Amino acid sequence: MPALIELQEIVKVYPPALLALDHISLRFVEGEIHALVGENGAGKSTLMKVLYGLAHPDRGRVLYQGREIRFASPAAAIAAGIGMVHQEIVLVNEYTVWENIVLGAEPVGWFGQIDRPRARRQVQAIIDRFQFELEPDARVADISVAARQKVEILKLLYREVRVLILDEPTAVLAPQEIPQLFAELRALRDQGHTILFVSHRLEEVLELADRVTVLRRGRAVATLPAAGTTRSELAERMVGRAVLFQSRRVPQPSGEALLTLAGLRAVDGQGRISLHDISLQVHAGELVGVAGVEGNGQLELVHAIVGLLRPNAGRIVVAGTELTAAPILARRRVLAFVAQDRGRMGGSLSASVVENAIMTHHRLNRRLLRWRGWLLDMRAARRFTAELAARFAVSTPALAAPLQTLSGGNQQKVILGRELLLDCPVILLDQPTRGLDVGSIEYVHDQILAMRAAGRALLMVSASLEELFLLADRIVVLHRGSLVADVPVEQTTVEQVGRWMLEGVQGDG
Amino acid sequence: MAKLFNGLLGIGVALALGGLLMLVQGYNPLASYGALLQFSVADSYALATTFTNAVPLVLTGLSAALAFASGPVNLGQPGQLLMGALAATVGGLFLDLPPLLMVPLLVLLAMAGGALWAGLAALLRQVFQMSEFIVTLMLNMVADFFTIWAITYPLQDSTAYSPMTPPIAQSGWLPEWGDWNSAVVWMLAAVAATWFFSRRTRAGYEWRIGGQNSLFARLGGCPVDRNFVWVMLLTGALAGLAGGLVVMGGPHRFLRGLGANDGWDGVMVAIVANNSLPGVFLYGLFFAAIQSGALGMELITGVPSEIAMVLQGVLVLAIVASREALQQVTARLAVRRRALERRA
Repeated sequence: MPALIELQEIVKVYPPALLALDHISLRFVEGEIHALVGENGAGKSTLMKVLYGLAHPDRGRVLYQGREIRFASPAAAIAAGIGMVHQEIVLVNEYTVWENIVLGAEPVGWFGQIDRPRARRQVQAIIDRFQFELEPDARVADISVAARQKVEILKLLYREVRVLILDEPTAVLAPQEIPQLFAELRALRDQGHTILFVSHRLEEVLELADRVTVLRRGRAVATLPAAGTTRSELAERMVGRAVLFQSRRVPQPSGEALLTLAGLRAVDGQGRISLHDISLQVHAGELVGVAGVEGNGQLELVHAIVGLLRPNAGRIVVAGTELTAAPILARRRVLAFVAQDRGRMGGSLSASVVENAIMTHHRLNRRLLRWRGWLLDMRAARRFTAELAARFAVSTPALAAPLQTLSGGNQQKVILGRELLLDCPVILLDQPTRGLDVGSIEYVHDQILAMRAAGRALLMVSASLEELFLLADRIVVLHRGSLVADVPVEQTTVEQVGRWMLEGVQGDG
Repeated sequence: MAKLFNGLLGIGVALALGGLLMLVQGYNPLASYGALLQFSVADSYALATTFTNAVPLVLTGLSAALAFASGPVNLGQPGQLLMGALAATVGGLFLDLPPLLMVPLLVLLAMAGGALWAGLAALLRQVFQMSEFIVTLMLNMVADFFTIWAITYPLQDSTAYSPMTPPIAQSGWLPEWGDWNSAVVWMLAAVAATWFFSRRTRAGYEWRIGGQNSLFARLGGCPVDRNFVWVMLLTGALAGLAGGLVVMGGPHRFLRGLGANDGWDGVMVAIVANNSLPGVFLYGLFFAAIQSGALGMELITGVPSEIAMVLQGVLVLAIVASREALQQVTARLAVRRRALERRA
């Protein structure tokens, strides 16, 4: 079969020193669903950006329908028939579905006015043709995330795009919404569209795609037919070694309540309730997982506990200490916090490994201080960091090297090590494995389970249900700022939690 | 190593461009640069002049660099310098103590004057969330006109024809040893103290991290709001010290136009040095050398001393541009090396 798109020896370098694409050669065939999988940083997104005109290769050629192309911008790519749906959805909330779809390419009448009836008719025709379940007159502000994603796809179909690039389309969806998206994507393929999609959820990839290309550290290591390939085969090629997908959690009795949230309520700047009477207890030796579709109060919950957000009502008690209105330092004496965002909340990427490792310790650990805390003992700080690096298997060029020169997994080990060495009774984990590769995820999970075994109380927010079911003793579900479920993990299923995430019903909801 | 190379590269490019400019104007660039060198570093007198010129440059440079590296955009060095100079002058006019007490006291007054002026901006930021960037800039104007008023009316020397104060008490004059003014010693001490503070104290660590990532510092338990105020106070004090030393080491009185460009030159030095404290010291000396050498250049080869301003401008551009370019080049080389290693 002739290739619709052919990549020849594509090289892309990101300064300072990231070889994002390393001589990649690939062929995409017309009318196929082609998945790109790989760990974070493997080059999936960069490859898509090169196709879409958002990044320009430093070497190599892109052939489209046999001709060499080089898009100056996404608009040029769309005009040529290649469109991309990003993870972040950017729509005008106040406009209706059809208005958003035609925005920027409106059909106009004789006097340059927008021909609204015709525009709406055209949108309805596309919706019917591809059998999307979508109401063209609904306001975007009122529709679900899944529906907004459909609007993004329809925007491209309206512009008569033949190749659709989807970047992690299922990341924002609840489990129940995924089959419908897949059905619609298959319908698109059957009508001759070519779909490239990026994902790191292997089971979805195998379910949807016709062919799968595995990227590892900037190189295309294999292209396989999805039929007959297994998840562990893919994972092995992604990581370069065998990976286990089993829970290593051992049941253990839990102790006294170490973290208590009582009637926590927060109202945002516009008067919307972001946390609605959250009450929750986490006991010693217990890991409670917080599930929820992104944007349902997880951020506010974490911020309220660490002290970035002052709740309007309710109490936070950690290990018998009232922390509701305490300054951040007072919280950090009893609360370790692993942030989801290494460069923003978890560390300073331009600071050295030592400087990142001693944060918070520099106020609490006498060993690092001289002269009543006025001076830092830099030698002790280096020794402390060396111990941390040894204990948490951090591989770093030097302790004085900037944190950004470490891989994501090693950065997270520095941060995790720093927080766990604080020796706090309560540990708050906000997506602790976000953006990590499979090997690092395993390591972080082991450390988390070790803390649970040591009798700490752990509260973990995660976007991955798989991770929650792997580690948690209890799962609570956040929906529109309320806790709608609180169940032991043995008494529920991924499907049920997914339903709560979406609909928020259990009893009175 | 890379930093040194980058600096030398920038300086080389700037000197070449400056030479070209002189050539076009019909001057002899080699003779001119020779004169510049002769009058800036060749003998004890020239070297002493360069160091004395460097005092306000380095101190305001330290002030700007420390502020920028810690987060607050303190652009009030010109105003803080003037207020420091005024505070030292007032002290010198109304007090007369033995020199051993008088000099440190006036130095402290100068620092307090600068700190107060910067503290005003910090206060407005804490209470009304006003951006210190705008406030410090505006306070420069206020300080400018306030000091002119002060030396024109209440503190005016009635025997002088232009606005200036009478000389301060002689006990407050900075001692001189031959060509060398002891203001240089104060500057060196300030450089050492600032470096020690930044690298060895807990507060210095918190400031540095806070400047890189304020949210991270806050979550780590650093009192970022309190630190903000202290950064402003200390950097204001450094700029104020510059003003005090200018008065006590030079004219021994506050006259109109005192320290006119020193504040902004200090900001420039901080930018060229990329907020590194040793860098501020070295570039401060270098710019001072150009300023003192330019006068000699005018004397010997007739090149107008304004060429120093041109050279400064080109230097800033060349050094900053070569820093960026060099980073790109080294990054690309590193990637190519890695790619080759992996292919092998």
